[in-house]
Amino acid sequence: MNDSNASVRVVVAQPQIRFGEPDPLDTVKALQRLGGEVDVEQVRTASHCIALASEEDTALVVVDYALGEDVFQVLEKFRNAGPPVVVVHSEHSDRVALEMFRQGAVDCVAAARGDYQDVLPAVALEHINRWRAQKEKGVVEERIRSLERLNDAIVNEIPAALAVLNSQGQIISLNPEFSRVWNADVDVVAGKPISEVLPHDLMGEAGLAELLEKTAKGESLSAKTMRTTDEDGTQHSFDVRARLFAEDGHILLSLSDVSERENLMKRIGELQAYNTNIIQGMNSALVVTDTEGRITSGNRMAEHILGDMASTGRSIWEWFPDLEREQVVVSRTLDEGLSFRGAEVQIQLPDGRHLEIGISCAPLLKDEGISDGVVAIFQDLTEIKALQRQVLQKEKMASIGHLAAGVAHEINNPMGFIHANLFQMDEYLTDIRKLWTKVEELQEGIGTGNMERIDEVSRSLQSMSQELDHEFLLTDFGKALQESLEGSERIRHIVRDLRDFSHQDTGERVPSNINQCLDTTVNLVWSMMKHSVVLRKEYSDLPEVQGYPMQLKQVFMNLLVNAYQAIREKLGDSGDTGEIFLCTSHNGSEVRVTIRDSGVGIPQANLDRIFDPFFTTKEVGEGTGLGLSTTFNIIRRHGGTIKVHSQAGKGTTFEISLPLEDDPKLRDLPTG
Amino acid sequence: MTPPESNPRPRLLIVDDEARILTALQRALRREGYEIQTAETPDEGLSILDQGRMDMILSDNKMPGMSGLQFLAEASTRQPHLVCFLITGWTESVPTEELERCGVRKLLTKPWDNETLRTLLREAMEEKGFIFPPAPSLESKG
Repeated sequence: MNDSNASVRVVVAQPQIRFGEPDPLDTVKALQRLGGEVDVEQVRTASHCIALASEEDTALVVVDYALGEDVFQVLEKFRNAGPPVVVVHSEHSDRVALEMFRQGAVDCVAAARGDYQDVLPAVALEHINRWRAQKEKGVVEERIRSLERLNDAIVNEIPAALAVLNSQGQIISLNPEFSRVWNADVDVVAGKPISEVLPHDLMGEAGLAELLEKTAKGESLSAKTMRTTDEDGTQHSFDVRARLFAEDGHILLSLSDVSERENLMKRIGELQAYNTNIIQGMNSALVVTDTEGRITSGNRMAEHILGDMASTGRSIWEWFPDLEREQVVVSRTLDEGLSFRGAEVQIQLPDGRHLEIGISCAPLLKDEGISDGVVAIFQDLTEIKALQRQVLQKEKMASIGHLAAGVAHEINNPMGFIHANLFQMDEYLTDIRKLWTKVEELQEGIGTGNMERIDEVSRSLQSMSQELDHEFLLTDFGKALQESLEGSERIRHIVRDLRDFSHQDTGERVPSNINQCLDTTVNLVWSMMKHSVVLRKEYSDLPEVQGYPMQLKQVFMNLLVNAYQAIREKLGDSGDTGEIFLCTSHNGSEVRVTIRDSGVGIPQANLDRIFDPFFTTKEVGEGTGLGLSTTFNIIRRHGGTIKVHSQAGKGTTFEISLPLEDDPKLRDLPTG
Repeated sequence: MTPPESNPRPRLLIVDDEARILTALQRALRREGYEIQTAETPDEGLSILDQGRMDMILSDNKMPGMSGLQFLAEASTRQPHLVCFLITGWTESVPTEELERCGVRKLLTKPWDNETLRTLLREAMEEKGFIFPPAPSLESKG
């Protein structure tokens, strides 16, 4: 035993030394001869002795008979359990020894003996060794018992079918799992060959019989997976092991059902293939990064778009060489755990070209929500952007189309009177020519001096002049001409506004006067709405905004036309008027434009969707559903925001904020 | 239907919110012999109707307060014998199926042709029994 040489305690119980009595220290001295392995401790009373002697490492108690009654207490205490007790005494009678043996002492040594100093250590050592041996035996037995318990527990609880066979393959014992799985009662099958219990295909084709034979011959074989098919046709897989016990030639056979694990592995394999198929086959590019932004995986589309830049091990920050880490949207996902969708960013390709991508990021979460990196999905926006520009232009054309009808009316009114006036002036000219013919005749007459002729023509001229009302004719000719000139001027303005509106921005941001943009747009739509709408304006002097004025005009156009339509819808044929309120202001960092109408309002349920592309409540063919979505995009492109408040039946307010600061990050987006 | 008086002039009401149109129409019809009154709003037109009998109305459609069509419908209710013409620069905005119900004889478009306009109005009035003097022909006197 490992602890056989550990020091042990010997408790010596003696009374106080009294003058004239034999020196009790002799006992201690004698025991100390046993050396360092023995720790001698003295006590004076039975209770101390018992307390100390009850401790685990006390190997022996030596009690001085001189303790009197206490001796009996100690002996009584350790009679059946605990350390052995040796009594030393100074009596000269064997009666004492006899009495002590009877009380349970293992030995009795007389101090009076001349060889006390030799005898006591010898006696003590013998008892200490005996105590040690007994103790070791107890430990070993306890270990064996615990191993047996463990063994039983394992054999009974292990989810493997275990059988012990003899060298002929006959069953000696089974564990409960074996009985359960193979439906074999140990009392029934004990002594029978294992081949009668296990299925034939397992023994034969699967090779279990062969495995057992080889094991019996002493071959050491590794575990094998064997399959058997049950009556239902279901296949089961077993992890099979056999082991020979050299002592008695018995074989331990163990069968673990691994069908579930195999199925799981198969399923995992399928899922992996499935995921890989999705990820590789998806139309968007995907990369996954670690917490440092290094790419840990990516799909083919990512490589198709970005080439080597999307390869494993590359850093996602390399995509944005001109930006600080915190300027890159991805950092918000990595650092703050934010998810976002559809951010438009520019990537710089190795050849210097810029590529616009739309990127969506989400944190890659480990257990307990700890971020382990980023999953980024992105698309090349080059084509989409081109389409977007087309849509933007189409939407603008659509709103112009909407205007055209109103504008046609506005042009046709002046055209109407210009045309009529021209026709009239033509008639007037005919009349004037007729009069002029008479004047010429009169001149001729004057030339000839024929007074009769002169008189006749003169009268004829006068009567014609009266009939034609030549004074009115000349005055009205002038009026008609003047009015027509005014009319043509009006048409010129309308056409100029319209052309102005249909213009495309150059693609560069330019200083834009918001009040002016608003007014030009109002001019254009005003003719359409003037009968139904009272316009109220509250403009502040505004600093110029860096922006795309044509796009802003389109925004105002969309909102004004919507406001007008909302008012029309509310008024119906009532003949009343609604109000559109336009307000501009600024606070030094942004310009704010408010467009409020007193129209029907937007139902709460629709408020969240009005900026969605193709969302419309209008009849098919009446609206593209792109107006507000375009509006939203244009405002976003300016780095601004648009908010809507609406109350059904009361009206709607749109609030646009446009930042004054020219943010270079927004410059990347081309215009429509 | 009351026959016209011995030599009465047809009474024409022109309604348009655009003064220049009113002037141009009057100009075109000056020699036609109508007794012309003008109004710049439908309301004004209705109050003129309330003051006396009219024979014919020529009205714009897009006007403040009510549309020309609504105005003509109301006018026809007040004076059922009225001949109504609607004239507009935006024919698409006029529901054609409503025209008849509102008592509109014909829908005219802006810009209009003076001569056609004169003929249309004259024909309508001749149907009502009005006699127009032959078109002034200065040649006959020259």
